[in-house]
Amino acid sequence: MSRLQADHLFKVFGRRPDEAVRRLAAGETDREELRAEGTTAAVVDAGFTVEPGQIFVVMGLSGSGKSTLLRMLNGLLEPTAGRVLFDGRDLTALSPRDLRTVRSTKISMVFQHFALFPHRNVLENAAYGLEVQGVPRAERETRAAEALELCGLSGWEKSWPDELSGGMQQRVGLARALATDADLLLMDESFSALDPLIRRDMQDQLLVLQQRLKKTIVFITHDLNEAMRLGDRIAVMRDGRIVQLGTAEDILVRPADDYVASFIQDVDRSRVLTASAVMTGGATPADCPAGCGCRPVGPDTLVADLCAVAARAPHPVTVQDSDGSVLGVVPTERLLAVMGGLGARDAGDPADAKTGTETGGKAGPETGGKADSLAAAQPKKELTARA
Amino acid sequence: MPRLPLGEWVDSSVDWLQAQFSWLFDAVSTGVTGLYDGIDAVLSAPQPLLFAGILAVVAWWLRGLAPGVLAFAGFALVDSVQLWDEAMATLSLVLVATLVTLVIAVPLGIWAARSKTVSAVLRPVLDFMQTMPAMVYLIPGIIFFGVGVVPGIIATIVFALPPGVRMTELGIRQVDGELVEAAEAFGTTPRNTLLRVQLPLALPTIMAGVNQVIMLGLSMVVIAGMVGGGGLGGAVYRAIGNVDIGLGFEAGVSIVVLAMYLDRMTGALGRQVSPLGRRAAAKARAALSAKRPGAKLWAHRPQPVTALVGVVVLALVAGGTGFLGGSGTSSTTASGSGGGHGKKISIGYIPWDEGIASTYLWKELLERRGYEVDTRQLEAGALYTGLAGGQLDFQTDSWLPVTHAQYWEKYKNKLEDLGSWYGPTSLELSVPSYVKGVDSLADLKGKAGQFKGRIVGIEPSAGMMGILKDKVLKEYGLEGEYEVVDGSTPGMLAELKRAYERKEPVVVTLWSPHWAYSAHDLKKLADPKGSWGKGDGVHTLARKGFAAENPEVGAWLKNFELTEKQLTDLEAVIQKTGKGKEQEAVRTWLDGNPGLAEKLAPQ
Repeated sequence: MSRLQADHLFKVFGRRPDEAVRRLAAGETDREELRAEGTTAAVVDAGFTVEPGQIFVVMGLSGSGKSTLLRMLNGLLEPTAGRVLFDGRDLTALSPRDLRTVRSTKISMVFQHFALFPHRNVLENAAYGLEVQGVPRAERETRAAEALELCGLSGWEKSWPDELSGGMQQRVGLARALATDADLLLMDESFSALDPLIRRDMQDQLLVLQQRLKKTIVFITHDLNEAMRLGDRIAVMRDGRIVQLGTAEDILVRPADDYVASFIQDVDRSRVLTASAVMTGGATPADCPAGCGCRPVGPDTLVADLCAVAARAPHPVTVQDSDGSVLGVVPTERLLAVMGGLGARDAGDPADAKTGTETGGKAGPETGGKADSLAAAQPKKELTARA
Repeated sequence: MPRLPLGEWVDSSVDWLQAQFSWLFDAVSTGVTGLYDGIDAVLSAPQPLLFAGILAVVAWWLRGLAPGVLAFAGFALVDSVQLWDEAMATLSLVLVATLVTLVIAVPLGIWAARSKTVSAVLRPVLDFMQTMPAMVYLIPGIIFFGVGVVPGIIATIVFALPPGVRMTELGIRQVDGELVEAAEAFGTTPRNTLLRVQLPLALPTIMAGVNQVIMLGLSMVVIAGMVGGGGLGGAVYRAIGNVDIGLGFEAGVSIVVLAMYLDRMTGALGRQVSPLGRRAAAKARAALSAKRPGAKLWAHRPQPVTALVGVVVLALVAGGTGFLGGSGTSSTTASGSGGGHGKKISIGYIPWDEGIASTYLWKELLERRGYEVDTRQLEAGALYTGLAGGQLDFQTDSWLPVTHAQYWEKYKNKLEDLGSWYGPTSLELSVPSYVKGVDSLADLKGKAGQFKGRIVGIEPSAGMMGILKDKVLKEYGLEGEYEVVDGSTPGMLAELKRAYERKEPVVVTLWSPHWAYSAHDLKKLADPKGSWGKGDGVHTLARKGFAAENPEVGAWLKNFELTEKQLTDLEAVIQKTGKGKEQEAVRTWLDGNPGLAEKLAPQ
């Protein structure tokens, strides 16, 4: 069972929201028309599932409705229509009291501007969720201190939030979210307010933590590089709708439309794409002259590493599985085309790309989500190991 | 445009409210009076200097050594100008008003912060409360709550409530939305979000609101003094009425001392109670002592425990002495013989000389006969309203049938006229005696240039102003030549004093008896046509039924009479003895007139 499932979620602000939802669902109107009437459709028909242990990234520019979507996942905002299933329970049907219990024990949140309580010290901030749960002081301080240690903040317990740098403040925010042992972590542009170096550092740290803790994370960002680095699966939002849903590779290789394609131009694809995404399947490996120094690579090898191999080999690089069976080859021209920003779409097989809906990854649509995510998580492990 | 009978509606709704909800007003009045009496008893119990010491320790703790020393000096000054009791009464009034205001304002502010509708509804109401002149609702306040401290406190609350509500709302709305969202995201209940996040973070702003409430409360004490609130406001009001600049300044400075103390202490308290403020203060102190080690002593403040112990010890000492002192005075006031048997009588007076003299004369006489007498200084409107409402038993300074005709017309059904004890009085225009050639009203004609075309008048509501404008000017053909300047009695007296000292010609509205005639050399302008009418008598008015309930006192008051010489003598003795010692002066005067007490109040 998926941990979190969003089912045809709508959020409309303004007058007569239900009417607006009906018209949107029936395709009678669009967002611009509603806006002219003074009604804002923030989220339109959003649906996705998140598996346990996955990092699900929602990517979109400001105003695309991603923060509104996130707030419906823990009931801070009530959906105008649709359901949110968390471990099979419909959050939208819960009483306020039950919803608060779920929020205090099962779902925690990390905010864009940290949202640390300035009148509480670091330890008290980290212990806040436990305090709400009613955990006795001694226990909650122990657990909060553990969470702080996990985030690399041992020794800062008695400091005050305003004495910490931005990165450290966000670690406190993360520790506060982790201290409650919630299964689901909602992160709202949590690293956007940090400067680039710190941001990268925090991303790496989140991945390291995730390997240990295996939380289910929904991460909101406007930065596609961040989405690619972190996301097992990524939803791209535009004007309140999810325009593409898939792995980082899916989005890079098969952007659903020109909007998504325009985004991926700036992405460092060598650190996202793997050998399996750029190889020509079914081709026979080239004959290798003796002493040419080449070696076959695994399907999960990042293109960045693939380049190093290809540079030394006078022929296409062989991609083979761990058991030695050949999966395909990567010719140098192909590699250059991908790196040159033509995109897998131009170089590859655009027939695979479907617009607007779930785009099948290499392992096929939805059913293979789990395997998909594991495969995608692989290169990041290498990356973090190097970092 | 048809005339909207707004005033009539208000009139009738005031009557209706009074009829329907008198039980509620009585309950409020009892509650507020109880609170005030309690706080006043506590504040007045200690010896002044000991209490000044307590306040100084509090200042030391909250702000440091220098403010502590200054606080002590300030309160010692108040004590030395003999306004200590008044200052404590004012402090009690402000504290009660602040307490009640906060109890109402903070929840309202929280409510307004949470609901846009409430906020939108409250805003015009608050504007109304803040800008409506206090005197407009003071008189209805007396109708509802009776004279004394209660309408003063209510008026203060009405005036001081808006900033309390506004600052609370502002403080809560200012709390970062993300913090509130964070609290909610962790499952905090709305109540705890308020208590643990919003209120602590809004506290500095709320405390600034408390500070405003106290300051506005202090600015209202003079108004409260006009309706029998007593305290420093009463002293100021009396000083204004008598153009006693010295007393006015002393009382004013005492108010300033209180205001500065309360302002600095609430400001510091705001920092002490808010977690953020405490942190900032600790940081600042650490920085200071690092920079200038010598400043440490100056900025030193005792630990809260030390300060608390200091306050408690001083309070205990003070309580002990206060208790001894209190028991000592109570034994002296309980003396007196006669038929009073401690029956309580309440006398109201306007701080005019003959009013003060006759009121304290009767206070002394009635106390000698065993009654317990309480005197209240009031503004004229408040005096009549209080008398009609039965909160006062009688007053001795009603000028009838002319000057106070409007009050008599309005309340005559609820009042009883016990007759005139002095008269006739007269209304007149007067000029300084150095103005030559003007001896009668007729002489004013054609001399407008000399007097700048002005006749300096008093309150436009006063009966004599109507007579002057409608009758006197017309009959002497002065209309158009002279402009009657509306103002106030103190304003008129101040103008007279100013002109008199510069020997400038001036013509003022005046009446006899009045102390101005003994202070300055003035000339009453003759009224050959009798336009002013016959003079008033100074009447004693009682509430309806007073004489029947107290036949003995009723009979004394009906027979009460003083000659001009007796009255001016008594007034002179009171002037000479000094403020606050009126009753002492009356005793001296009675001693100088053996047998008079027996004659006025025969056993």
